[in-house]
Amino acid sequence: MFNLRKNNTHKEAVNWNNIKDNFTTLFWNQNIRQFWIDEEIPLSDDKLTWITLSDAEKDTYIKVLAGLTLLDTEQGSTGMPQIALHTENLHSKAILSFMGMMEHMHAKSYSSIFSTLCNSKEIEEIFEWVKNHDALQEKLAVITSYYNNINDNKSLYMAMVASVFLESFLFYSGFFYPLYLAGQGKLVASGEIINLIIRDESIHGVYVGILAQELFVKLSAEEQAQIHQETALLLKNLYDIEVSYASGLYTKIGLFEDVKTFIAYNADKALMNLGLEPHFNIDASEVNASVLRGLDTKTKNHDFFSTKGNGYIKTTNVDKLSDDDFNF
Amino acid sequence: MASYLNLNSQIITEKDGFFQLNKDKEALADYLAEVNSKTLKFDNINDKVAYLIANNFYEDFYRTYSSQQIQKAYDILKAADFQFASFMSASKFYRDYALKTDDKATYLESYEDRLLAVALHLANGNEELLYNLCSILIKQYYQPATPTFLNSGKKRRGELVSCFLLEMDDSLNSITFNISTAMYLSKIGGGVALNLSKLRARGESIKEVQNVSKGVLPVLKLLEDSFNYADQMGQRKGAGAGYLNIFHADIEDFLDTKKINADEKSRIQSLALGITVPSKFFELARDNAPFYVFYPHSVYKAFGMHLDDMNMAEMYDKLVAHSDVRKKKLDARELLGTIAKTQFESGYPYLIYIDTANKNHALKNIGKIKMSNLCTEIFQLQNTSEINDYHEADKIGEDVSCVLGSLNIVNVMEGKEIAKAVKIATESLSMVSDLSQIKNAPSIEVANNNYHSIGLGAMNLHGYLTKNLIPYESEEAKDFANTFFMIMNFYSIQASMEIARSRGKSFKNFESSDYATGSYFDKYLAEDFSPKTAKVQSLFEGIHIPNAADWAELKDLVAENGMYNAYRLAIAPTQSISYLQNSTPSVLPIVDAIETRTYANSTTYYPMPFLDKSNFFLYKSAYNMDNFKVIDLISVIQRHVDQGISTILYTTNQASTRDLAKLYIYAHAQGLKSLYYTRTKNLTIEECLSCSI
Repeated sequence: MFNLRKNNTHKEAVNWNNIKDNFTTLFWNQNIRQFWIDEEIPLSDDKLTWITLSDAEKDTYIKVLAGLTLLDTEQGSTGMPQIALHTENLHSKAILSFMGMMEHMHAKSYSSIFSTLCNSKEIEEIFEWVKNHDALQEKLAVITSYYNNINDNKSLYMAMVASVFLESFLFYSGFFYPLYLAGQGKLVASGEIINLIIRDESIHGVYVGILAQELFVKLSAEEQAQIHQETALLLKNLYDIEVSYASGLYTKIGLFEDVKTFIAYNADKALMNLGLEPHFNIDASEVNASVLRGLDTKTKNHDFFSTKGNGYIKTTNVDKLSDDDFNF
Repeated sequence: MASYLNLNSQIITEKDGFFQLNKDKEALADYLAEVNSKTLKFDNINDKVAYLIANNFYEDFYRTYSSQQIQKAYDILKAADFQFASFMSASKFYRDYALKTDDKATYLESYEDRLLAVALHLANGNEELLYNLCSILIKQYYQPATPTFLNSGKKRRGELVSCFLLEMDDSLNSITFNISTAMYLSKIGGGVALNLSKLRARGESIKEVQNVSKGVLPVLKLLEDSFNYADQMGQRKGAGAGYLNIFHADIEDFLDTKKINADEKSRIQSLALGITVPSKFFELARDNAPFYVFYPHSVYKAFGMHLDDMNMAEMYDKLVAHSDVRKKKLDARELLGTIAKTQFESGYPYLIYIDTANKNHALKNIGKIKMSNLCTEIFQLQNTSEINDYHEADKIGEDVSCVLGSLNIVNVMEGKEIAKAVKIATESLSMVSDLSQIKNAPSIEVANNNYHSIGLGAMNLHGYLTKNLIPYESEEAKDFANTFFMIMNFYSIQASMEIARSRGKSFKNFESSDYATGSYFDKYLAEDFSPKTAKVQSLFEGIHIPNAADWAELKDLVAENGMYNAYRLAIAPTQSISYLQNSTPSVLPIVDAIETRTYANSTTYYPMPFLDKSNFFLYKSAYNMDNFKVIDLISVIQRHVDQGISTILYTTNQASTRDLAKLYIYAHAQGLKSLYYTRTKNLTIEECLSCSI
């Protein structure tokens, strides 16, 4: 009996009544509240504006979404699970797993957009494109190498850096175009999905960034110095790949320079999530204004009969009525 | 990307401690320059009108007007030297309202031109009304609702009526007939609401075969798809709402359709949902007494009357006691919590306090109110149609249509012309009702011919209060609203009486209404509605405030001459048209001092009217206001409005389901007739961290 417990290990159950910091509950609740599924958003209205786009614009649009699908797939399948597995704090594991699950929701929602706008043949072609695109695959290979080589605090920290870079920086070359179009009133329903995804990614980046900072102080001075160097190298490597990727997608529609600025701007954001100094020092005023406004995850005002809006939530605040509530 | 969009979005980047509002003026100038370069030009207005008639854009105005009259009307408009106050106003107008060539490349109308076409159409040959309309439109005293403003005068156009209400009977004939009618009404431009409360519930019998009825949900699904299909040639999306009585056995299924993780087969994405809540429900909730919902078909079989037509205060105990009535026990307080949860997740359902609406119904001796419309401000009697088989004649009842328009409070107060604005607005709305012949919707046509219902509302209340440095949640705000809406009510009744007098025609069964018996006027004879605070008294200087003697005289005139409109006032949630008027929406508080607007066709930043450093603090966001005080203010206004007021609640994720449910209870206690949807603001993590640290 009980042969399996050979090493006398004691597994602990997660105790949500014993939380030692002031942000875990906050992030858990925020995640639950902003839970969403793609079927909530009626996408079919985008069909009418879709046919007004040029072929080049359509091509860029579906390719950036396909690229994002790949990143979300990997982040949900490898990134979040690996970091969760190697993180000790049980509450953090729970939050990371929830975030990983939402990555799959994101990946699925791009498919909903594809199936609204494209036919089956086009969809197959775009997934082939993803499989064979060098810069895209390289970008992913770099990130994944960190996820698959976690064996100590230092490598865990670097995996977290990779994760924050992915979610706060690499996603944004893809987000640029849907935000840009939605800012002009095009493909607004798909833009709403992107907005919900950005709402998620922004808290994912902040959260993993906080975990990384907690971990950082536990490392030796020597390790810390190594890490700084490695982070800087990783940033440079990813930035170069990203610029080459964006150039292939955006040059033909004349937006490459804007996207390049946007990439650098978000790279700085990612560094700040990690508690590091910005590298590119791009001021917000240099970023395309309507795209910048699109990044805002604050609840927006909207026409109730044309869009659902990003304000609606799964409430975590349920409370019973009492007799006094009927007397004023 | 267009330079004006860029300039417009720079507004919210702060400089020297405040928003760069001047950027909006730059955006406006850029935008108007672009519009001007794409506008077809003419030497004079009659050349233009003649061209637009000849090219199939305008109806033939020369059949009703001379070119001198058109010139004179146009001169009135031009003399006002109108300027758009914001980029939002101008872009809203040119993108969504101005007439364009069929390829949409060239503008054919300026703001004055659109007003001219509206006035020419609505005056219908009446020269005096034409000039008066031009005058109140260009001064922005009055703004017709979108369908009227967009379509008037056009050769190829939709209808001018804003919204429709239909009642379904519990038969397949009625269901299919109403779906077909709803699609037709959606095509011509209206928001359509349907009352489904008479339909039998899921699991009831059909032709005595037990457990076969599919209930209300599949009908909701059919409606959702119908509205999706039948839109207004892509100009506006079809929009509809379904209503259900809270005592209907399908109520839980009904609410579940809006949950975030609702099953795909039962999910309702875009159809709006509302529930009608009899006061009995709140009584049961208060007493924590057993709350039963009923299977409507079994009720009908047992009592020969529809559940939805019953007075629940009287019938509830009988229904509970009757052994043949199928019922299900729920918990009233828990259901309030479920409603709140559903509102957090989707904004829906609307709540209709149906007994309050009927108690304060000036036509209560003539008919019963069953439901409301897509925006919960319309409250009118209905009689259910009986739709028979193909070879038999139908018995057509009475349903509801409503034409809407709004006063701009700032402009009528500053021009000191409330009386004139209300009079002309009422005449022009009545004209829309007269001109409207809604084919393929016989119950609507019958009611329109009988009742000539209109809905005059108001906008820019928060803007007016802020401009005069009065906080929205203050006693002075209530004081102002109490007097303003009393005056509006007075002139509305007077205008309707004058139309009846000049035409010798009142609405059907006028003699049984509270207007004819005089009981409607009791409160105005007994109470003094003049302003109480010095501040508000000063705002009304130079404006005559009708007193008890004026009301007594009006009462006699009404008894003698009748009234043309059975329903007159309704405060709609102005959206697009308040942007045109550069005003705050309806009588509700603003959302942001600079609003970020995701509209179906753009993202634009819109600084609130009169915003500057000195009044910034008075533009308190609805999300930060005390909802109880908002309800108090609405309840003051409601006393002077014969129909209803669209009232939106604003909460953040920090509110609990109980906080929200308390507001439903409070709004009911304060005599509101409805609550429109609830907007929830999900605070971002930075906002949360900043309050937790």
